Amino acid sequence: MAAVVLDNVSVDFPIYGAHLSLRKALFDRATGGIIRRNETGHHRVVINALRDVSLEIEEGDRLGLIGHNGAGKSTLLRVIAGVYEPVRGQTFVEGRLTPLFDMLPGFDPEDTGYQNIVTSGLLLGMSRREIERRIPEIEEFSELGEYLALPVRTYSAGMVTRLGFSVATAIDPDILLIDEGIGAGDARFAERVAARTHDLIRRSSIMVLASHSDALIAQTCNKAALMDTGRVLAVGPVPEIAEMYARRVHAASHVPAA
Amino acid sequence: MTLSAKASSGPVPLVTTAGEDLCRGLGRWDLWGRLGWLEVRRRYRRTVIGPFWSTISLSIFVAALGFVGAGLWNQDTHEYIPFLAAGMVVWLLISALINESGTLFVANSTIFRQSRFDYSILVYATVWRNFVVFLHNLLVYVVSVVALAPDLISPVILLAIPGMALLLVNLGWLALLIGLFCLRFRDLQQLISSLLQIAMFVTPIFWPPESLRGRVGLVFVHFNPLYHLIDIARAPLIDRVPALESYGISALLAVVGWTGTYVFFRRFRRRIAYWS
Repeated sequence: MAAVVLDNVSVDFPIYGAHLSLRKALFDRATGGIIRRNETGHHRVVINALRDVSLEIEEGDRLGLIGHNGAGKSTLLRVIAGVYEPVRGQTFVEGRLTPLFDMLPGFDPEDTGYQNIVTSGLLLGMSRREIERRIPEIEEFSELGEYLALPVRTYSAGMVTRLGFSVATAIDPDILLIDEGIGAGDARFAERVAARTHDLIRRSSIMVLASHSDALIAQTCNKAALMDTGRVLAVGPVPEIAEMYARRVHAASHVPAA
Repeated sequence: MTLSAKASSGPVPLVTTAGEDLCRGLGRWDLWGRLGWLEVRRRYRRTVIGPFWSTISLSIFVAALGFVGAGLWNQDTHEYIPFLAAGMVVWLLISALINESGTLFVANSTIFRQSRFDYSILVYATVWRNFVVFLHNLLVYVVSVVALAPDLISPVILLAIPGMALLLVNLGWLALLIGLFCLRFRDLQQLISSLLQIAMFVTPIFWPPESLRGRVGLVFVHFNPLYHLIDIARAPLIDRVPALESYGISALLAVVGWTGTYVFFRRFRRRIAYWS
């Protein structure tokens, strides 16, 4: 059984070389984690990106993370992925993690498409044999043909997206972590992307998705968590959480800032 | 179902210890071998001779300085040039690796900010890549020794293999330690590269270690760890058995260096993602 458990997880980012005036930081700000000076230090600025987050995600859960920019959605995903070890608290995971974030790991424009497929595949935790087995599928889905033998820097932006998406979705997902919608490319490709994304999510045992698109979360998730300034405020059914978020956004726009 | 974790054990804490990182990373030779190799390949791309450019500039350097140096230190050109070539080839390996270690984590953050990652893989990849470049440069030594002093090639040359191995072990901890420090303190990179330039002149690479006597010789030859690290790999290439002192100091450096680096790595490993 796949499972992800977060127990009172906090993440603070130290900011070096930022001579922030605290006054300026406190006002005029509607987004982001709490910025504060280190209690012990003098000039060190710290951002509390996650504060005492506890969360239990079980087999079959498709959890959507909702919240405005800087609410901590991406940081939470990266804690689950094992990129950041929490400053306080602990993360427990059972199952293989498949993180699909902003770009493929180890991607290098000087390498050919095929070389990048293997490097990224290895970094995503696939074995060499597994990758070789997936290559025909990646070739077919990406429709890049002979371009795959050329350096990626010769690709158009859309072609890079096609390649990245094809590799990312060729993996056997277990605990799938997705940051924002994965890119699309041209219109005809976008349709196939949607179909393949749903297929990928269906095959996973757990999915956590951070997105600003209410529609995407409503379509793919069976649970949602509302995040604000590094805290998880509520976890529940998608419509309920989405409405709560809408209410907060509405309320905020009517109350004058400060 | 493709669960990799044991089904009965339940969720396990998502932490990696420094020891796990170093051991598991070493086992991923498929990955670090590939990362290192692709970087060498990239240097070949769109150039006809790729990394051999550095070999060419090295050979010009050795040829020019060979005659000047032989005159300066009253050496026989036929022996001095292979000595210089062997020393420079080993020195270039050390200095290139130390220089690149400064950006070990800074330049590779796209790899480890996407998923859970054993950072030591980057160390092994860097050492491996620089070793491949070293093999390119070694051509300068081979040509000079074959052309000028073929009698320097004797069974003693086999000692270069354990010497090289001990040097690479030392380069491993150096890369990790420097990488860690330079990630946190970005100024260090500049400091290190200027220190390296000075180190090249005060270490017996151009000049024979015997030519410096007295207290100065003690400081810049016998107390100079770089000299010993270079000599365990260089001396066998010019038909000399490295001094026991050099082996001893290099082995001591490896033990002390790895221990110290391990302590730092254990303490700061979890901060790497935050610092980058």
